[in-house]
Order: sequence, then structure tokens, then C-alpha cells
Amino acid sequence: MIGQVLLNGLLLGGLYASIAAGFSLVWGVMSVINLLHGTLVVLGGYLAWMAFHFLGLHPLVALAPVALLVALFGAGLQASVLGRVVGAPVLVTLVITFGLDLITRNGLLLGFGADFRTIRPSWTLGTAEIVGLKIPLDRTIAASAALAMTVALYFLLRRSWLGRAIIAVRMDRDAAALMGVRVQHAYIAAFALSAALAGAAGALLGLVFPISPLQSDGYLGTAFTVCVLGGLGSVVGAVAGGVLLGLVESVAGFAFGAENASIVSFVLLILLLAVRPEGLLGRRGYA
Amino acid sequence: MSEDVDRARAVTNQETGATVPSHRSSAKPARQGQSGKDHPVTAISRRALLATATALVTPAFAGRAFAQTKVLKIGAPLPLTGALAPEGLKQRRGYEIWADAVNSAGGVKVGNERVKVELIFADYESNTPRAAQAVERMITQSQVSAVFGPYGSGAVKASSTVTERYRVPMLAPTASAREVYDQGHKFLFGTLAPNDAVTIPLARFMLSVVPNLKRMTILSRNDLFPLALGQQMEQAAKQSAIEVASFQRYPIGAMDHASALTEMAATKPDWVFVTGYTNDLILVRRQMHELKFTARVITMLTGPSYKEFIDALGPLAEQISSVSWWEPVLPYRGVGPFATSEDYAKAYEKRYNVVPDYGEASSTACAVALQMAAEKAQSIDPIALRDALVGLDILTFYGPIKFGPNGQIESQKCPVFQLQGGKRIIVAPADVSQGKLQIIS
Repeated sequence: MIGQVLLNGLLLGGLYASIAAGFSLVWGVMSVINLLHGTLVVLGGYLAWMAFHFLGLHPLVALAPVALLVALFGAGLQASVLGRVVGAPVLVTLVITFGLDLITRNGLLLGFGADFRTIRPSWTLGTAEIVGLKIPLDRTIAASAALAMTVALYFLLRRSWLGRAIIAVRMDRDAAALMGVRVQHAYIAAFALSAALAGAAGALLGLVFPISPLQSDGYLGTAFTVCVLGGLGSVVGAVAGGVLLGLVESVAGFAFGAENASIVSFVLLILLLAVRPEGLLGRRGYA
Repeated sequence: MSEDVDRARAVTNQETGATVPSHRSSAKPARQGQSGKDHPVTAISRRALLATATALVTPAFAGRAFAQTKVLKIGAPLPLTGALAPEGLKQRRGYEIWADAVNSAGGVKVGNERVKVELIFADYESNTPRAAQAVERMITQSQVSAVFGPYGSGAVKASSTVTERYRVPMLAPTASAREVYDQGHKFLFGTLAPNDAVTIPLARFMLSVVPNLKRMTILSRNDLFPLALGQQMEQAAKQSAIEVASFQRYPIGAMDHASALTEMAATKPDWVFVTGYTNDLILVRRQMHELKFTARVITMLTGPSYKEFIDALGPLAEQISSVSWWEPVLPYRGVGPFATSEDYAKAYEKRYNVVPDYGEASSTACAVALQMAAEKAQSIDPIALRDALVGLDILTFYGPIKFGPNGQIESQKCPVFQLQGGKRIIVAPADVSQGKLQIIS
């Protein structure tokens, strides 16, 4: 049975990692704690729901267009509002993203209402059973796709000109500008990437969880915990943090009861912060 | 009465409540204050005594002010935004359909005159402390004669302390936990039967129709009402000699139930009982399916009462059983603007395009109870209304309404139903059943 518990934790962790990766990127690159992130995830969920409901598209098919739309929304926000507060005191960025979150969330509430919506594709892969382990295939695909996106982000940041520009701006904004990097463009690209990841995560989560504007706090809290656990400034950290949190919650839930799972994971978080404040794999810059 | 004077009254009352708590033992503050016999005062100065007496008398005068307005003002704090917004909307509709029906008939019959109803809404954003603040504002600023309770047991428990302090009756449509009514409040009434009125008949019924029902598991949301319901179920199971192999609680906002379900599945239960709100139960049901975890009986409270639950789960909702506090097909006929359960359901569906569930019906039932209390008391004074509610014994579209000594309805029989073909089919009690419980294979 412990195998099943670990598998449950891994699948949950994959989804957690995808929620956190985009959040970590904006935090790491721009030092902006983006309180809007949870709502961007929910926005992705609703777009996927609309694609499913009105066009009959499976969330996996709608993944790329949803990510693109949320990215455009994010880029617009960065270009118009957030770009003005990069480098401002943390309270200013908190207030701005909090305000944007309120507006977006209430917009979703007005548009969709607070009812829960679910995506129920007519074809589901069901559950496979291997050596006594029950593997929910839809969830496995969602978690794998989430991990694949995170890995793609890793390579994008390492190998592409855009990625190197984003990291250069993070390391030394003035030097990057002198080297010909358009700093504002790099910020817009970073925020758009983060929003794309959030939107895609929302579409994938829509396969698993009911969608409601009120889920955003839960997603934001998860993103925050995973980032602190895994360490800021690292894609690998987001994956490690996500998987670790998923595993700890699953094992702790099994061993001590579901109501104590978050207590155990937060105790672990506090211990880790005391011993290793930079998180598991935190580093300066972002890669 | 000006707002300043009104606030002053509020403050004085608060102070009185703090210094002379025994005033709660009676609904007649003026008389009690004048005699002073009910609570011997020994070491209190003459001035303090005078101040206390004045404070106790003031609400009686305020009560007269209510009667002169010729409008029955009722406060309705609602979670119109935030996590409980869907439930808040239902409550609001339950009140509005009643108010419009009553007003279009001329108003509530109070003595020889007809008094129009005015509902005063406030959104407390699904935030319990704000519900209590909203109630206080309604009483002190809007001078309501009665308050309809906010959503759920927790918020009613918190805000009923305010109505108690100001001596205004609160009628709670969606609070069923006994803990809410066990506070000794004299101004609190509720139209949902206590949880054990749900769980004990449910356990007996399941035992009578499910062969070899021996073992069950319970999964409860760690929240006042769902947890109380889970604990009551555990007790009821023990009384019916059903073994509770596992009792798991999940935190509010849980995003994953796999570990709890894995543990529950290992005990191979005959009956799985899950409590929570709609989104929790949708997720639990989906994950049960993913983990291929099933049982001969799956009971969930309270999601299956709601259309959203059925819509969201589709085929996975089939054969899930639940208990409701009211169903449109119940054969009740009684007083109030809606004669029968069916009349009510039809009027509601015509207006809002959805079939009402117990949440809406209970909200309307609270309003009907208040209407009948006003007719009986021939007054809209809060204390007269409260006294009339105490002795109320009426039959309505919602069923018989009679409040027990603690203020909670004691006349209600809760129907057990099962989702069959996307519809709620009542399977117990026998006199109202529409079909038989299907055992999950």
C-alpha cells in the first residue's frame, strides 16, 4: 500500500510543480511576489473549460492556445502596469498584484459565477493497474505534461537567446542593458512565460479538479510553499519542491490522517528554512 | 430614531449584557429591569442600578418604534461573494420569492392591518466575522424586527450572539449542528433538523435494506457542520452495530484525497460515508473512481442535493445516496403563500429556472415561520415575534414547523434519497418513497 501512497504523492507533486514553476520565475527574475498567480491558473482552467464546452476540445489539445492567451494577458499586464513597479519596494509590488488579483478574480466571478465547473471529456483513459498499483492515467498524463512544461522552461532559459537575456537581466540589469538586452522586453517575456505556465497548469488541473474562481488562493498558497521549499531562482527547485510537497502530504496524510498532512508539511518547511534558508536548490539568478 | 441615539442604545445594551448576564433568562426586559427581583443586586451603587434599569427598559421603547414603521424589516446577511456564493444566492432567492408573494398579496396580516415586508441584504463575503458585523449593523442602523441567519452552522453560531445581545429573533435556515443551538440562546430558531435526526434514521434504514452491512468508513471535512455530521454518523453506526473501520478528516481547501481514500479502501468497507461541500465531494468522488475504490453503498452529504453536483459528475453521480431536509415531492400541505411542496417547487422553478433544494426551501420556511409568528403575535416587535415563535406549531409546504426548547426544529423527518438516472429518488421513509435503494455492484 505504501507504493500506492508514494505514487499518489508523485502525481500530486507533478501538478504542484507546474503551479509553482511560473510563480518562481517571476519571483526569481523580477523579485515580484505575484499574488495574481493563482488567479492566472484559474483563468487557464476557465479557458480550457470554455474550449471544451463550446468547441469540444480536450484540455490537452487546448493546452497551447490556452497558454498563449494567458501569456498575452500576462504580457499586457506587465507592459501596462507591472513594468512600472519592477524594482519598487516589495510592499508596492504586493499591493499592485493584490489589486490586479482582486479585479481579475471578481471579473471571473462576474463572468462565470462561483459555481464549480468540471471538464468531463467523453473519452478518459481510466485507471491502469500494475503490480497492485492503481494508476489514474488522466492524472498521470496531466502530471507528466506539467513536468514536461517545466523541463521545457529549464531548457528555454538555458539554451535560448531569450532565456539567457532573462537571466542576464536578473543577474545585472544595467550590464545586460549595456550588452544590448532590452530590459523591459525581457521582463515582459518573463512575465508572459510565467503566465503561460500558469494558464497551462490551469488547463491540466481542470482535468483533475473542479474549476472555480475561489480555488486561486489554494493554488497561490501551494505555489508559495513549493517555491520556498524548493528554493527560489531554480526550475529544478520548483520541481523538487513540488514533488517533495506532494510526497510529504501524501505520506503524512496516510500516516497521521489527512487533517494533519499540512501541519507536517509546514513543520518540514520551517525546519528546512532554519537549516537551509535558501531552500533545497535555491540560487541567485535563474536557471 | 437618529443614528447617534440608536448607536448609544446599542452600546448601553452591550454594557448591560456584560454586567447583568442573567437578563437573557427572560424575554421581558422591561419588567425584569423594573422589579430587579430576578437577580439580587447587593453591592451595586444606586447610579449603576439606575443605568442598568434604563438600559433594560430602552429596547422596549425601541420596540414601539418598530411597530410604528408599518414595514416588517428583516435583515438577511448573505455570503453573496466568496467561497459560499452559490449557497448565498440560494438563500437570497428563498427569501425573495416569499417576500414577493407576501407583498403582492398585500403584506403580512398583523392584527387588522397588512404590513409590507422589506428585506435588507448584506454581503458578508463568506467571511464569518463580517456576518456578525452585518447583523449588528442591521439591528442598530436599519432597525430590523428579525434577522435571517447567515449560511451554515459556523456563521450562525458566531452571529447569533449578536441577535441575542440585542434581543432580536434570528431564524437560521441552513444551520443544523446541535452545537449552534446548545448555547442557551433564547432568540435563535432553526429550520434544519439536528444532525442526529439525519444519521440515526439513515443508519437504521441502510441496515434494514443492505444485506450484511457490517463495516463503514467515514471521511469528513474538518469544519463545524461536516465534522459534526461525521461524528454523529460514527455514533449512529455504533448504535446500529456497524463497525467504523476508518474515520478520516480532511482539511478545508484540501486539493487531494488520495491518501485518505487509499487508507479507507484498504479496510474494504461496505458503506462509505463522506461529508463536505459540493466541490469537496466532486473531487472525492472523482478520486474514488480513479483509485477504483467503491463500496456497496456510497453516501455523501450534502452535495447530491444540488444540481451542480449531478451536472459536474455525470455518470459518476449515479447511485450515490444522501439525506435531504426537504424534497419537492414531499406530500405536505399547509399555511403560508405556498400551499404544498409541489406548489413551492413550481413557483420557484418558474421564477428562477431551477428546481429548489432544501437550502432554498428552508430559507422560505424560515420566512413563513416568521410570517405566521407575526400574525399570531399581531405585532412586529422583535420580542413579541420571538415569543410567538417559541409556541409556533404549524404545517407548511416545508412540513410541520415546531421549534424545540433549544430553538431548533423538532418536527422534521428527513428523507433519504439516491441519485438514479440523474434524478433524486426518495428511498425512505416508506410513506414518501419513490423507489428502492440500489446497491452498487
